[in-house]
Amino acid sequence: MKIRKGWYALFTFPLMFIFFVVVIIPFAIGIGFSFVEWDGLAKHAMSFVGFDNYLRVFTDARFLQSAGRTTVYTLISVVFVNVVGLIFALIVTTKLKTANIARTMLFVPYLIGGLILGYIWKSVFSEFFLSIDWGNWLTDKTKAMIAMIVVTTWQMAGYVMIVYITGIMAIPDDVLEAANVDGASFLRTLFSVKFPLLMPSFTICLFLTLSNCFKVYDVNIALTGAGPNYQSEMFSLNIYNEIFDLSNFGYGQAKAIIFFLIIAVITMIQVSITKKREVAM
Amino acid sequence: MKKRTIALIIAMTMAFGCITGCGNTAPASQPTENKAEVSETKTPEAAPEESSDDFGKLVIFQSKTEIMDKLNKCAEDFTDETGIEVEVWETSGDKYFTDLKTDLSTEAGPTLFSLAPGSESVEMADYLEDVSDLSFIDKVSAGMVDEVNGKKVGIPYTLEGFGLVYNADLVDVSTINSTDALVSFLEKAKADGINGLGFSQEDYFLIMHVLNTPFAIQDDPDDYLSKVLSGDVRMIDNDAFKEFGKFMEAVRANCKNPADITYDNNCGDFATGKTAMIHQGNWCYSMFADYDVNFNMGITALPLLGNNKVAVSVPAAWYINTDADEASKKSAKKFLEWLYTSETGKNYLMAEFGFVPVVEGMTSESLDPISASVADVAAKGDTIPWSMANWPAGISTSLAPIVMQFYVSDMTGEELVNQLNDAFVSANK
Amino acid sequence: MKSVKTSKVFANIALMIFCLLYLFPIYLILTNSFKSRSEMYENMVALPSKLSLKYYESALGKMNFAISIKNSLILTLVSIAILVILCSMTAWMFVRSKNKLSGALFGILVATMLIPFQTIMMPLMQEMNWIGNHVGVKMTDTIPGLVFMYIGFGAGMGVFLYHGFISSIPVSLEEAAIIDGCNTWRVFWKIVFPMLKPTTMTVIILDVIWIWNDYLLPSLTLKAKANRTIPISTAKFFGQYTISWNEAMAALVVTIIPVAIFYLACQKYIIKGVAAGAVKG
Repeated sequence: MKIRKGWYALFTFPLMFIFFVVVIIPFAIGIGFSFVEWDGLAKHAMSFVGFDNYLRVFTDARFLQSAGRTTVYTLISVVFVNVVGLIFALIVTTKLKTANIARTMLFVPYLIGGLILGYIWKSVFSEFFLSIDWGNWLTDKTKAMIAMIVVTTWQMAGYVMIVYITGIMAIPDDVLEAANVDGASFLRTLFSVKFPLLMPSFTICLFLTLSNCFKVYDVNIALTGAGPNYQSEMFSLNIYNEIFDLSNFGYGQAKAIIFFLIIAVITMIQVSITKKREVAM
Repeated sequence: MKKRTIALIIAMTMAFGCITGCGNTAPASQPTENKAEVSETKTPEAAPEESSDDFGKLVIFQSKTEIMDKLNKCAEDFTDETGIEVEVWETSGDKYFTDLKTDLSTEAGPTLFSLAPGSESVEMADYLEDVSDLSFIDKVSAGMVDEVNGKKVGIPYTLEGFGLVYNADLVDVSTINSTDALVSFLEKAKADGINGLGFSQEDYFLIMHVLNTPFAIQDDPDDYLSKVLSGDVRMIDNDAFKEFGKFMEAVRANCKNPADITYDNNCGDFATGKTAMIHQGNWCYSMFADYDVNFNMGITALPLLGNNKVAVSVPAAWYINTDADEASKKSAKKFLEWLYTSETGKNYLMAEFGFVPVVEGMTSESLDPISASVADVAAKGDTIPWSMANWPAGISTSLAPIVMQFYVSDMTGEELVNQLNDAFVSANK
Repeated sequence: MKSVKTSKVFANIALMIFCLLYLFPIYLILTNSFKSRSEMYENMVALPSKLSLKYYESALGKMNFAISIKNSLILTLVSIAILVILCSMTAWMFVRSKNKLSGALFGILVATMLIPFQTIMMPLMQEMNWIGNHVGVKMTDTIPGLVFMYIGFGAGMGVFLYHGFISSIPVSLEEAAIIDGCNTWRVFWKIVFPMLKPTTMTVIILDVIWIWNDYLLPSLTLKAKANRTIPISTAKFFGQYTISWNEAMAALVVTIIPVAIFYLACQKYIIKGVAAGAVKG
């Protein structure tokens, strides 16, 4: 379809302009800042240090640990969130009478903002657990990690469920009927018919959950506050602490840029893999 | 049907958008766009006696969340009396210092703000206005005006003191006058089934306040601190710290693990008689209001090396932003004058905020029992300082994890002191 | 026959029980909004002794509820309206003119979804203040300025979702309209946009929840009391050392209700829209 340049500009320029000003320019400024050493206060001096900040990353044990930790947390959470979300979606698209109510109830967690959600779960995992003698989970580094995964799953499963519901409902009935007529069992239908057709949904959900988990911040700071002893500090929190607690603005920015590159690479890989397996209808 | 509803929603939002868009024009216009309820009574243009050219808008941003509501009212009263427009920004505690630095750094900072005198005010030295021309500056109690780089810059809010807040029914503090006595009390308390001494998990309550005592009881705290930071001396060689190590071991053996206790619950435990003493300060008194407290309480010192002095200091002070325009700075100074010398202002400080008087001639009838004790010993000079105010900024985040680890492992008191020592030295780099 | 029925009844009951347990934290939120601090201290999970609304009163009062909700509403509705319009326009244009520029811009938009906010937080604030001081348009501490920023941040996700959906719409309908004499503008608004309903609803729901609950960005830009949004007002109850749980929970309940109602209202649209789309195949 041929479209004249005028229309093209009219349709795309407003959004791109705003986007440029709000996201691209600060990002570029941020890159600039990653080459200096500064404590963030305008009146205090800034000194140019070139790539020092980037090299420093390799010797920063705390950052490397938090990188590893975030990766583990993300991988596990992505699996849980998507599996749980998909199961919810499958249940909720059956013809059970309570399916509609269930769908609403299961989505409710997503309506609660991240910070407050973190605080509420924090009191569940610490005070409540203490009162039933399960011990304070947040003082043990493995259990704190499990807590993060549980809260993330709780919050995001409903959201992912919605996307899957849309995907499931878009599967034409005739395809399912054909499979039924051919005598396919429930599981067979699930894996050989539904999944391939759900690939676009998988692409979107995996992409969104991967990026959201990598970027996790609200829940991290409210639930565990990076405790115990920074053993549950994820990427975003590490960068935030670097910039604000330790007043290393330039170094923090460098870490943020690296962080972004890592996420970009991983998600691009993910998208290209799942896109290849998408089956067009 | 659906199309129409969507169109309707969009139309409504466009309408909203227009209304707000038209309401807020470019900043070239006067500050009238600011709909702060404060200027209900007097708009800046219509200001009477004082011409508002002299006094600019005053923006206050401070850290004490407990007084926020009353501060808003206070600002309204100030505007009623003087016609100067005041805007009070909100904060949510934790992020205060971060938010403040961001604001000051982007040339959009508040006129009047608070800081903890010490490493915070030193870090922000370039942003602090000289306030020695305030009329009551000489009446402020000795040593309480914050001086940085030779300039007088900080007006103290109040006094705060911390130590062992005790339940007189559960403990006889006249017997707790040495580390050994304290340790035996803790052991006895454990045998009796109560928590002898409760700490809570927040950085300051967990370790900062506790570690303050051994530093503060040195002959020359400042000098000792700088020697520790430079690595010239090791804390473990000092008697005060040796006792500190012993004390911490006793706490671990006989008391509930602080990592499991929040400030809320620590106060709750104390108020309900489950904990005999908490390591806290006069600010915590308001936490007891929700409980039926039926015992007498007081505050006493942590008796390392026989210390009997509570640690008292100025926790926060008012500072003026030196980058603000002259007119606003004038307003800020006028506000401080009004707050500390006028009857209405002083009433706010004493009765409403519950502050301890720090200026000669100010007295308070409304101090709670703990604050009254603090004011008492402060007046007598029978106190130890807050050495922690001079520790490297942000060090609490390095110390807390070490202590948390201590409580769940078999780290010895000596190892604890050494690890804390190392944290100080590396924070100094 | 009977065994199928009872197993269905059983399934319904099981599902409902699961959903109720799943929403355990919501139970905590509700009950604790009625308890006094000492009651909560005694037992976190017990039902409140009396259902007094006093914490709701004090919470709403301290939050300046009327002002906060007005600001939140305006911010959310205006941002989303503009986002829906601009993102759909931009995405459609990208899909229909498959040139390198479109591909590149689309890629950049999607890639920036991965940028954690902390990375550009400080530079963004500096840029906004610079614009305020040198270009004369006040961006900070104003709702319109914040709307501008939300459009920038929401662009990536919006275009991403629309792009995916539009790709699956056959061009034939639009080409027919062009032959009939419609210009590009009319083709989009009369033919394409109505077909985008499901995606529009998805974008609206996700963005409403995001913007309504967002704390970090407004907390950085909005200062004046008259400009506060609900999350900022709610943060008041989360002090540095102590949380006023009863008021905080009351505030939270009040915050969730509008979003929940909105979500319930929109649910029907999604289902209808998706069902209509599925029938078309």
